[in-house]
Amino acid sequence: MSRPLLSLLTFLFLSIICNAFSPENPTDRKVLVLLDDLSVKSSHSLYFQSLQSRGYDLDFKLADDPRVALQRYGQYLYDALILFSPTIESLGGSLNAAAILDFVDSGHDLILAADASASDLIREIATECGVDFDEDQAAMVIDHTSFAVSDTEGDHTLIAGDNFIQSDVILGKEKIKAPVLFKGIGHSVNPANSLVLKVLSASPAAYSANPKSKLSTPPTLTGSAIGLVSVVQARNNARILISGSLSMFSNRFFRSGVQKAGSTINHGRSGNEQFVTEISKWVFHERGHLKAVNVRHHKVGEADEPSIYRINDELEYSLEIYEWSGTSWEPYVADDVQVQFYMMSPYVLKTMSTDQKGIYYTSFKVPDVYGVFQFKVEYKKLGVTSLSLAKQIPVRPFRHNEYERFITAAFPYYGASFSMMGGFFIFSLVYLYHK
Amino acid sequence: MAKSSATKDAQALFHSLRSAYAATPTNLKIIDLYVVFAISTALIQVVYMALVGSFPFNSFLSGVLSCIGTAVLAVCLRIQVNKENKEFKDLPPERAFADFVLCNLVLHLVIMNFLG
Repeated sequence: MSRPLLSLLTFLFLSIICNAFSPENPTDRKVLVLLDDLSVKSSHSLYFQSLQSRGYDLDFKLADDPRVALQRYGQYLYDALILFSPTIESLGGSLNAAAILDFVDSGHDLILAADASASDLIREIATECGVDFDEDQAAMVIDHTSFAVSDTEGDHTLIAGDNFIQSDVILGKEKIKAPVLFKGIGHSVNPANSLVLKVLSASPAAYSANPKSKLSTPPTLTGSAIGLVSVVQARNNARILISGSLSMFSNRFFRSGVQKAGSTINHGRSGNEQFVTEISKWVFHERGHLKAVNVRHHKVGEADEPSIYRINDELEYSLEIYEWSGTSWEPYVADDVQVQFYMMSPYVLKTMSTDQKGIYYTSFKVPDVYGVFQFKVEYKKLGVTSLSLAKQIPVRPFRHNEYERFITAAFPYYGASFSMMGGFFIFSLVYLYHK
Repeated sequence: MAKSSATKDAQALFHSLRSAYAATPTNLKIIDLYVVFAISTALIQVVYMALVGSFPFNSFLSGVLSCIGTAVLAVCLRIQVNKENKEFKDLPPERAFADFVLCNLVLHLVIMNFLG
């Protein structure tokens, strides 16, 4: 191979690597989309186009394609996975539920959409993420009070949901005005899993049952305990979106108008496009991804970081927090970042001041206790990546020559001791020479 | 009158004690005076600590213990040089005083170390 060609290939290869997910550039780049059949590609094209227009490289594959693979030679080929194949019973190639969960465990993102015909495989993946779909295979979410008004009376399974989570980070700053159309299955979130959040819940009057049969026993899932769309942010900051409705992402729902039952307002377009776009931005780390850099601490009036502190030292602690905006790191502004000075339990807990440019700083006095302490920042807030920083620092007691000498309050004691010595001398003289 | 008789008894007791003490040899009286001086200095420091607080606690301890130690050593000397004490009649008073001086030196060495 000639040299110019080789260097060109190296350059291309490097540029591919540099575009992939990295701590410096956390937005996903390459996304694998697994579909039941390729018609979904056109029926959901608006959603896929919105992703492509934001720079994602979508790779469409049939879910049972035998060549489909998430990794090759131990390297993941994709940064995120969109699973729009609710009916698939077994995935193609070497892919299975465990492989998808491994993908998530290694910090990659997942969007999963189920449907009324959701397969056991899809349910299993959702369950592993803390989302339990209704076990009744034929059940759908039915709501007789907040369904979307349509020409035919219908069975009220097309829901106009507006019970959103209150979070600017997850759903964007702009309020979603129109209700979101949803037609699919409901889920409950595992109460033991603290990482999963319901983003869109059903109305208090909703229930999950088979719309075609008569309701003979009370439904197991009722009211706002039903989640329609949920997200998970794992401890490794991998993000997962689980929706009970694939049609929520479809062009038909994007373009459709919506009028909620009992309301006179007829929205020309449903909130689906805004809702789905904003939440995809969050899942693909365009929002709410933090990094902390330049963690510093030093004594007041000094610049160098000491290897050890003494009890009662005054110290200053600072760090910088930036949020990824999708293209660059922007200063993160909040007033609730706290630092702990920690040894088994926090001895000092201080809320840090910020200069609004990403720098957080505070100063405090080392407690009157020596031992091995840690500077800890545990920042866990709804929607943003959790920051967990710990830096170990020992604290020593006073050296012997660092104690205060000649304390005024102790002068009487000094006086007494010396008068005892003088007294001893005089007593000895008097005792020896009397008479 | 019960009260006046009690007062009279106390006076009589006090007089008898005083006349008995007057017979004490002078060297023992000097030691007694020295002990009273040490104890009262210790009491003054305790009262001062109660008022000011125990902050330089090591200084307080060394101040008080130097007084108590001195008093204890002086009492030991008094026992050994008392002629009426048959137990120590073989011990010469010079030896007793030398012991007293040595112990005092050790005591004040320790006190000086602990005072600062």
